[in-house]
Amino acid sequence: MQTAERRADKNKIKSEPWRDPHAEAYVRIENITKRFGDFVAVNNVSLKIFKGEIFCLLGGSGCGKSTLLRMMAGFENPSSGSIFLDGQDMAGVPPYERPVNMMFQSYALFPHMTVEKNIAFGLEQEKGLSRADIATRVTDILDIVKLDGFAARRPHQLSGGQRQRVALARALVKRPKLLLLDEPLGALDKKLREATQFELINIQEKLGVTFIVVTHDQEESMTLASRIGVMNRGEIVQIGTPTEIYEFPQNKFVADFIGSVNMFEGTMIEDLPDHVRIKSDELGGVIYVDHGISAAPGAIVYTAIRPEKINILRTPPADCTENCVKGVVKEIAYMGDVSIYLVKIDTGKIVRVTLQNAERQSDDERILWDETVWLTWHGSSPVVVTQ
Amino acid sequence: MSSRDSYGRLGPLWTFLLRYGPPRWSEYVLQHWSGQRLVIAVPYLWLIIFFLIPFLIVLKISFAEFSPLGRPPYEPVFRWLEEGALQIKLLIGSYVYLFNEPLYVSAWIYSIKVAFFSTILCLMLGYPMAYAISRATPTYRNVFLLLIILPFWTSFLLRVYAWIGLLKTDGVINNVLQFFGIISEPLAMMNTSFAVYIGIVYSYLPFMILPLYSNLEKHDNTLLEAAQDLGAGPIKSFMRVTLPLSFPGIVAGSLLVFIPAVGEYVIPSLLGRTDQLMVAKLLSDEFFLNRDWPRASAVAIAMLLLLVVPIMIFQRFQNKELQAAKK
Amino acid sequence: MKTQGLFSKTMLGFGFFFLYVPILSMIFFSFNNSRLVTVWDAANSPTLKWYARLFDDGAILSAAWLSIQVAAMSATGAVILGTLSGLVLSRFGPFRGRAILQGLTTAPLVMPEVITGLSMLLLFVSLEQLFQYLFGWQFDRGVATITIAHITFTMAYVTVVVQSRLAGFDDSLEEAALDLGARPAKVFFRITVPLILPAILSGWLLAFTLSWDDLVVTQFVSGPGSNTLPMVIFSRVRLGVSPVVNALATIMVLIVALGVVLSAFLMRRQEQRRKREEQMAATG
Repeated sequence: MQTAERRADKNKIKSEPWRDPHAEAYVRIENITKRFGDFVAVNNVSLKIFKGEIFCLLGGSGCGKSTLLRMMAGFENPSSGSIFLDGQDMAGVPPYERPVNMMFQSYALFPHMTVEKNIAFGLEQEKGLSRADIATRVTDILDIVKLDGFAARRPHQLSGGQRQRVALARALVKRPKLLLLDEPLGALDKKLREATQFELINIQEKLGVTFIVVTHDQEESMTLASRIGVMNRGEIVQIGTPTEIYEFPQNKFVADFIGSVNMFEGTMIEDLPDHVRIKSDELGGVIYVDHGISAAPGAIVYTAIRPEKINILRTPPADCTENCVKGVVKEIAYMGDVSIYLVKIDTGKIVRVTLQNAERQSDDERILWDETVWLTWHGSSPVVVTQ
Repeated sequence: MSSRDSYGRLGPLWTFLLRYGPPRWSEYVLQHWSGQRLVIAVPYLWLIIFFLIPFLIVLKISFAEFSPLGRPPYEPVFRWLEEGALQIKLLIGSYVYLFNEPLYVSAWIYSIKVAFFSTILCLMLGYPMAYAISRATPTYRNVFLLLIILPFWTSFLLRVYAWIGLLKTDGVINNVLQFFGIISEPLAMMNTSFAVYIGIVYSYLPFMILPLYSNLEKHDNTLLEAAQDLGAGPIKSFMRVTLPLSFPGIVAGSLLVFIPAVGEYVIPSLLGRTDQLMVAKLLSDEFFLNRDWPRASAVAIAMLLLLVVPIMIFQRFQNKELQAAKK
Repeated sequence: MKTQGLFSKTMLGFGFFFLYVPILSMIFFSFNNSRLVTVWDAANSPTLKWYARLFDDGAILSAAWLSIQVAAMSATGAVILGTLSGLVLSRFGPFRGRAILQGLTTAPLVMPEVITGLSMLLLFVSLEQLFQYLFGWQFDRGVATITIAHITFTMAYVTVVVQSRLAGFDDSLEEAALDLGARPAKVFFRITVPLILPAILSGWLLAFTLSWDDLVVTQFVSGPGSNTLPMVIFSRVRLGVSPVVNALATIMVLIVALGVVLSAFLMRRQEQRRKREEQMAATG
């Protein structure tokens, strides 16, 4: 998460071109629909992706993200709608004529060719490149992905992480305008995944290629992406930076999909431009939110509060009328860096709270099972969605 | 504009064609054909010309009139008369003969009977074999499969011939049995239905085993274990789990034996009865001995009609297996 | 499980016994001095005289040579056509007439040979008439017609082999190649074919064997003077056993056995080497 923030702190407009209403989108997806018989895989999706971005399509299986990616690569034809790449309409353009390259989930390395031939394959299809040129570019890209000396090996002689880098090199060596990545880190184990995430970002920044990444792993998307497009059942549900998606989800699905969330259904009892109050029977109390919400009067709203934004108090606070509820600790999961508490409040609902294990605590300082506690949170923490 | 833009995917090739081939032909091909269509067309055309059309010709001739002295020995079915009219003469006499003549009727029944029982015998021997191979350890499994396949690669004709040596009156089996005093007179095994059954089972056994094996091999062992864990004994779990799951393999193997067996020629010729013929021999005799092409054609069409339903069932199963294998 | 295992194992043993006794007896009696193939002439056997007779037998040798030529040509033709149709049926999307192509390619697998043979002969006769009428050509049936007939029914087997190989084949490899800029024809020759080469080779061998061994169809479509080996053998054995045929059979079994064992050995070695390399990669 830090990397995305760091980039945002640099020249704002330069690194956030989507904020500029006059910016030319590098990839324009307009009203794309894809039907397989009666089944609608992608439903009227429109997107604008800008040069140099890492854009993540995030969603569960069957949400249409892979289909959308394949349409960009040219392996599927949209049932309706258009895809424009750098101003050029991609309708009817076959995959081997698009300035787009794809890194496949299974890597799809040619088993009967060496690493060098695998990477050179794409360059050999281009006109006007001499043998020497190809050889140089192959060596350069091997250097960038840190696989020097592996040129003569064959795919079955490589480990999973090495294969992934070859697949990346093979796609990048052609200097495509757009690189599509299908679950790039899915096959790697956790440690390797983390290291590779940062490497990917570095390579992307160095080469300046626009990435579109498809993934179901929200952690991955949060780390890699400059912007995330959350998809559900063939539609884009929200687009935003990782921070925006996490802190300001626009609907229940996004709030629930990213990270964990406690959701309370309620009705607005006070609706002012600078704050609102929501009465929630699920919570058994009133929620005070320190910013305005646009919703119809008396509408049912859903308040999302992230587990890490809730405090646990072992003694009752002075004032427990708003943003406060009493409960009993039912489960504690010790995860090493954080502890997860499942607290059952009076209405019967289980609230999930995450606390960092910032200090080592002695036995009587620790919160125990079946202990009565009070949960509080700040007025800025809740996010209210209407759907 | 590059040639690719104006002429589609195979632009450069077509430009070449344009320069050297007749322009109008190239234009037509360009507009209506792409590389993919060509790839489909080549095997398709071959099969239509050399597989499908011949059947139509056989159909046509089956309705022709036999003319013993003609070259070819049948009257033309379609004939253009001087007035510009087309005369079509269709005789169904050949078909009527097939279904009335006792020789033929008994041949049909006999062929189906032999094919049916051979298939059953093949199944009874082949299923346990396939089962045992699928349960063996991988090294043994490969050896066994190799041993099954090896006879298949040696000549079919020679293997049937081998049985002559075994089954004759002074053949190996009779000699051995007499040597051990099990029998006193040699058994007449040659030129009997018994010999034909042995011949068919022997030759077609690999065709039964391989589909069965490929099906059984895919079975998940844990299913059987689950059944036994739930209290089913070995026989019961076999009957209720393995057998039903192997059904597609049974069907494929059986059809792979039954259908060609109905039309078997070599085995009945070398080993079979001389007083009761199978249809393939009848067809061959009609054609080569009697030179009665129309009648021979009628036999072929009748055989085809008889087998068309099993053939279609076989193809349906073949398709299903392929779909299942797709990743 | 134990009793069941025993039953099927017994059947397996019996089955192998059943499969191999005839072959072994044939081989055994090829060394028998007596003309009565199955009566062992202990005084003068074993002998190689039938093998010597075999190599003097002009009819058999020239028929064998013809058969080899026909088999090689038809196997090659069958592989080309069969690979194309296997490719079309497993990789190309739906197109008009796909079901017909599927039916046409798999029907020869089970079609009784008398039907195929008769129909192809009648086709050739009609073609003869047609060509005579149109061009005044006269052609005789012979090597060409036999080869065409063999290609037609053996390509079905190649199609099945190639189709099942391609079905279990991850098509993301071909997509990756397309994505990298290679046109479909190039993808086929540089990616698909090298990877299904073993299937193509075994298809070739299968088609070769089927053609080499074919009797019925060949009898129908051959012409004067073109006798294949099965035709010669068949006419001999109709009259009874012939020790020269035993000798021929032995040689053929030996060649096949050698080939099978050799290929199995080579394949195992390759498999072992591959496993070793994969293990090294995983650890290293």
